This record gives sequence, structure tokens and C-alpha cells, in this order.
Amino acid sequence: MKKSLFRPTDMLELSIAYIFCFFLNLLFDYVKTLDLDSYLLKAFLKNFIEYQSLIVLLFTFIVIIFHYQMLHRKNAEIFCRILVGDTVFNITIWYILDCLTILVFVYLLSALANVYLNFNLATNFYLVLIFITYILISARQVRKYENF
Amino acid sequence: MKIFKFIVSKIFLRKTILGIGMILLLCMANYITFTAARSILSTFQGYQETKYINQEGVYIANLDPDSHMDMNIIGENGSQAVYDYLNNNFNYAFYTDGFIVSVPNIDDMEISLGYMNEEYYKLNQFELSQGTDLDFDYQFGEEIPVLIGKGLSKTYPVGSTIKIEESVLGRSITLKVQGVLKQNVYHANYYALNSKTYYNFSILFPVNEAFINHANIDLQLNGLMDVIILQTSKEEIADLSEVIKDNLGLTFNFFSQKENYDYFNEYYLHTLKIISITTFILLIVITCLSIWNVLVSVRLMLKDFTINLLVGLSYSKLKKIFYGYFGILSFINLTVIFIVTAFNRYGCWLRKDATFATYGLFGLIGMDWLALLLVVASDIIIGVIVVESMLWKTKKIPISLGVLQ
Repeated sequence: MKKSLFRPTDMLELSIAYIFCFFLNLLFDYVKTLDLDSYLLKAFLKNFIEYQSLIVLLFTFIVIIFHYQMLHRKNAEIFCRILVGDTVFNITIWYILDCLTILVFVYLLSALANVYLNFNLATNFYLVLIFITYILISARQVRKYENF
Repeated sequence: MKIFKFIVSKIFLRKTILGIGMILLLCMANYITFTAARSILSTFQGYQETKYINQEGVYIANLDPDSHMDMNIIGENGSQAVYDYLNNNFNYAFYTDGFIVSVPNIDDMEISLGYMNEEYYKLNQFELSQGTDLDFDYQFGEEIPVLIGKGLSKTYPVGSTIKIEESVLGRSITLKVQGVLKQNVYHANYYALNSKTYYNFSILFPVNEAFINHANIDLQLNGLMDVIILQTSKEEIADLSEVIKDNLGLTFNFFSQKENYDYFNEYYLHTLKIISITTFILLIVITCLSIWNVLVSVRLMLKDFTINLLVGLSYSKLKKIFYGYFGILSFINLTVIFIVTAFNRYGCWLRKDATFATYGLFGLIGMDWLALLLVVASDIIIGVIVVESMLWKTKKIPISLGVLQ
């Protein structure tokens, strides 16, 4: 925690953002398994289920917003750390590791939920890949704050 | 205006990701509201249409789902016997559609044929834009007076004739256009009220006893499926069920007014409640995410806001700027929804889907405009919540602290 850019509130914020996206995907999968006898409800839900991937993908934008604002807020901290002897490389690695730890933790939680509901574990794995891409892209932004 | 342009371009647009995030969240909220509103409005329209059959003494036929239909057993004599019994003992409204034929028209659409008797015509009170009401006492074998949809009126004006080579009568027939229906006249499915068939590219036939007697078994059987028996009693309906069972080997259920209302209350009201509650919950979640997004925005833009406040920008002016900015984002979303909806409607024309092709202002029909209005209302509510949260956050931090940042 000492070397991390993350504070407990940041961790909580990122965890909630990840949980929201995984939960949304799980909710879609759950709705698909429901045996609805209401034609009207089926027709209504079809409007969303048809675009499941797109809707979940659009909601993952909240994770992008988190990374963006997190690094913006921490620009002074990054600069100060470099001043006192830390390196951009180390800060970036710590940042990536923190993000990945939270991601793995949330993914395991969602995997447990998948096992409990008898869903395929691969159904939300694509989200992990998307979030890793976001982490790697945002990690490249750390060096932007090398010069305050 | 100058300060609005300055703040939007120099503060908001410099952090585009936050703006895009807000647009996406609003887009989700608008899509959910629009979809729910259209589902509810469409069901309500369907319910309004079926109100005329929900009267005392009216029974609607429906083939029992467990009744197996074997076309080898069913003969024309059997169905004729059922219609003879109906003609002698009941007043009934007959309607059937879904017969597709090719009739030349400038939009190159396949045409759907609908058949109805006088009782059904009286119950529905079709609105005409041109011509006169249907005449059901025409001489069989001569030109048949028909109503056509608006889409066909350019090719076949009132008084013109249409020749159809293949018909339910098993021979070519000549139709005479008696009237043109108003645009977007529709028929809702009794068992899926939100599902509609539009008559813009349909021909509606007047059906009388002679017509049914000479029609093929497809028309006779299809007509029986949704036949509406008027001014009758449960005992008479039980006798009719027996006659159908004896002659066609099919089990029919006949639903009364009370059963229809109970069905509506149990099935539709329950479903509409679920849709409304789901929409409401989703909107609350999206509003919470929007608040989080704007609080993040304020946190990142605080320095710029406070400097402007220090040099004379008032909170009331800042509030107006926030509302203006949110208005622009809402407008972008509304435009997207409008374009997507118009494109969907236009898609029916491209696919030559005659039963769903509609006319309307910029391609949108009344129901779409009403749903868009509800989207605007939901945007206003979300906008007030979001902007007030932004302002609250801005006011909470002293100007001096903001400048120091």
C-alpha cells in the first residue's frame, strides 16, 4: 500500500466499477435462462438481450473514466514520488499490479456466481480482456505526469 | 453566450472522456426509457382497439393449444356446416388476414389481404381518408368493392380496379377501390396486444355469406380461429363448441368479457408493472452513475471553475452553463435515438415488409414521438439531479482552496 497510488476509496471505487460490469453481464445471462411465458416481457427484454455485448461494452466506459480521473488526480503524487527517488517504471508496475489484483478478485467473485448459477465460466471472460486492455492503456499515461 | 462558449470549449471539451461518459450514460437511460415507453404505449393502443370486443355477451374463439389440427380429416363440408350453423344461429364478426399476393404498385411491396364481414366492419369503424364505406351487399361474381391502404392509393385511386389472379375463391377476381384508409390504420393481435399489423399496403375485402361459402378451406378455417360471437350466452356458445368439435374435430375455447378482463389484469398489467419497475430501477442506477461521473468532472475541473468564479462568474451563471451543457448532451442523444428509430422504420420499407411499413413525420409514427417526449421528460429529471449535484459539489469547496489547487 505504501508504494501504491491507490487509497482504500480508490480501490473501492474501481471494485464497484468492475463489479457493476460483471454483474450486468451476469444479469443478461440470467435473463436469457428465464423461461418467460409473457410475450410482452420477452419482446421488451429482447431489445436489450440482442445488444448484450454492446450494452456491457458501453458500460465498461465507467472503468475508463475511473482510470482517467485517477491518474489526473494523482499527477502531483507521481511527480513527488519521482522527486524523492522513485521511477516511472516502478510506479507504472505498481499501478498495473494494483489494478490487476482488484480485477482478479472481482473476476473470481463473478466466477463463483457463475458456478453457483451453473453458467459457463467463459461468458464473462471477455470482460477481463477488455479491462486488461484499459489497464495497459492507462498505465502508459503514468509517464505523462513525469514532468509536473 | 460568450462565457458559455468559453467554458464549454476551454473546460468541458478539454476533458472529452468525461463528456463522452456522460453521453453514453444518457444514451443508455434514453434507450431504456424509449423502449419501455414504446412497449407500454403499444400495448395500451392494442388494448384500446380490443375494447370494442370486451362487452357483455361477446365471446372470442381461440383454438385450444392442446387440440391437434389434422388437415386430412378436416373437409370443406365440415367447415361449411359450421358456417351454416353460425349463420343460422349467431351474429358474428369475421376477420382474417395474412394472405399475401403480388399486386403491381409503385413501392413494389407485397400486398396483404384482409377479409371481414359487416359485423366486424361496424365494430372497428375504420377511418377513411378518401372514398365511401364498404358495401357488403355486392353481387357475387361481379367486381368486389374493397378498401385499400394509403400506400396503394397512388397506384389505385378511388374508383379504379385491381385484378388478382389467385384468390381464396380459386379464380381470378376483379376488385373496385371503394375507399382509402387513413395512414397507419392497424390491427392489434388479440393475444399479443403490442404486436400490430399496419394496413398501409393491405386490401380489405368485404365478406358476405356467399363469399364465405365459395371460399377455400384456408379462409374458412382461419376465419374461425378468431371469430367473435356477438350477443350470445354461455349455453349457446357451448352448443357451438360441440358443432365445431363434431364437424372439424377441433376443440375451441370461447372467452367472455370477464375472462378477457381477468386475462388482461393478470397477464398484461402484471407484465407492464414489471417493465415499469425494471425501467425505474435501471434509471436510478444510471442516474447514480451519472452523478458519480459529474462529481469526478467537478473534481478535475475545479481549478478552472474556481478561477472563473474568482474573476466574477456568479453561481447562478455557472448553473445556467451547466444546464446548457447538459442540454447539449441530451440533444445529441435525442438526435441519435431519433435517427436510429427513423432508420428502423425506414428498414421496413427497404425490406419491403408491407405489414410494418408506416408513414409519419420524418419517418416516425405518433407512438414514437410520444415515446421521444417521455425520453425528453426523463432527461429533464436526470438533468436537474445531475446539474444540482455538480453545483452542490462546486459550492462545497471554497473558492480559495480551488484556486490553490
